[in-house]
Amino acid sequence: MAKIVVIGAGFAGHTTALYLGSKLGRQHEVTVISNRDVFGYVPSWVWVGVGHMKPEKTIFKLKPIYDRKHIKFVHAAAKEIHPDAGDQYVLGEEVGTGKEVRLDYDYLVIAPGPLLNFAGTPGLGPEGGFTHSICSLPHAVKTRDAYLALCERMKKGEKVKIVIGTGHPAATCQGAAFEYIVNVHKDLVKKGLRDKADILWLSNEPAVGDFGVNGVQIKRNGHVMRSDEFIRSVFNDHGIRYQVQTGVTKVEEGKIHWQNYEGEEGTTDFDFSMLIPQFKGQPFKYIGRDGSDISSKLVNPAGFVLVDGKYGLPYPDLAQTPEAWPAHYNNPTYPNVFAAGIGFAPPGPISKPFTNKNNLLIAPAPPRTGMVSGVIGRVVAMNIADLIETGKMTHSERMTEMVAACIASMGDNLWDGNAVTIVMRPVVPDRKKYQNEYGRDLFVSHLEMGLSGAWMKFMLHYTFIWKFKGLFGWKLIPE
Amino acid sequence: MNTQEEFSKSEKFWMNNKLYQLWRFIVLNIKIYTVAVQSKWK
Repeated sequence: MAKIVVIGAGFAGHTTALYLGSKLGRQHEVTVISNRDVFGYVPSWVWVGVGHMKPEKTIFKLKPIYDRKHIKFVHAAAKEIHPDAGDQYVLGEEVGTGKEVRLDYDYLVIAPGPLLNFAGTPGLGPEGGFTHSICSLPHAVKTRDAYLALCERMKKGEKVKIVIGTGHPAATCQGAAFEYIVNVHKDLVKKGLRDKADILWLSNEPAVGDFGVNGVQIKRNGHVMRSDEFIRSVFNDHGIRYQVQTGVTKVEEGKIHWQNYEGEEGTTDFDFSMLIPQFKGQPFKYIGRDGSDISSKLVNPAGFVLVDGKYGLPYPDLAQTPEAWPAHYNNPTYPNVFAAGIGFAPPGPISKPFTNKNNLLIAPAPPRTGMVSGVIGRVVAMNIADLIETGKMTHSERMTEMVAACIASMGDNLWDGNAVTIVMRPVVPDRKKYQNEYGRDLFVSHLEMGLSGAWMKFMLHYTFIWKFKGLFGWKLIPE
Repeated sequence: MNTQEEFSKSEKFWMNNKLYQLWRFIVLNIKIYTVAVQSKWK
């Protein structure tokens, strides 16, 4: 009987666990260790952050699902990983009791989600800083409370400055911040307060609409349309100012410090700000059999797990090398250690990085959205099942092959809501397969705004919660 | 910094036309499902 341990129960970890439970749960031991005992449907936290959805509608308890799927659940925070052959185990600390937990494994999946590195930008974040975040449910709730308090000030006639975007020169997840800014706009319009707010998009992207994936390009009426034109139209239409090519370096009360591509240093005042922090890997200790630190064999300096990608290529070479992106997501030194979701180390950025004259690298990190994380989770689970059953992996999917769909809602009303629907294939451009300057399938890639997107967003919320609860037909719903 | 790009009146009309959006909803669902489900066989 094989023992499989999955660290984390987010989009990647939970998907891995569901597939493993379904394929192997009855004959083998599948264990999930997570410091949270609930699954959180992250895409809807945008609505929590503007007070349009109750937090409890975005979460559900994991244990009852795992009991049904023959998966063992350990509510503990993983601390140490001991990957050397012969004595492979994870050490954790049980939530509530602090008791040490030891989980032996034959296969390990590291999918704990990101460490929100607020410390990377002095003054950033809701805990001890001056800005807000929607990257966790408690943060989204805190953001909602601050936003609603701001609305009360506006109702009294006060004019305010709102800044939304990225809070670090190497931050990712611009899509979530974009969704939040347009939801704030729409909510203020509905409340009759829009004229009281000056809203600014502040981001590290090379261009508006880049989203850390080098933008999205589509073919419409015979010509290629780019997401920068499209998103600029959205911002202009909504009266949202924008400033890109900017890395936030420090935040003080009511003041954001930044540097741009030209190396200029400046400040932006704010009354309310939601800035996405830099993401890092979770700070697990990787310990060898002799007690030594073997982190360098398993993770990069940012704490992301090294997998079967080609690392170290300069950006121009990486952009022309689709096979540099990992296919199986297992570590070359410890092939039975897999990483899924945000936990794996990408071989480099997707968008063109830029270093300004002050030597500040302004480069959006590659986003690993829910769909990407889910697909990787499934690939990892199916390959572990393959290895146990046949000894050979048969599944692979690089980000240069993956399709991603993203619905950025702009108001949640089913009658007059709106959303931008983005479909891209592949997520990471493959200039060998798609012989155009963008490296994308311009027939499949899609960019559209309209009420139908708002319906899609609602449908996805309920469909995916159904899927993640492992209810009837869950496997038919794509990741 | 900003350009003058904005959506035209006609584009805005179609974005909110319920019947047209129902059509787009069906088309988008089929399109996304079709491409996403291909990944299942990899």
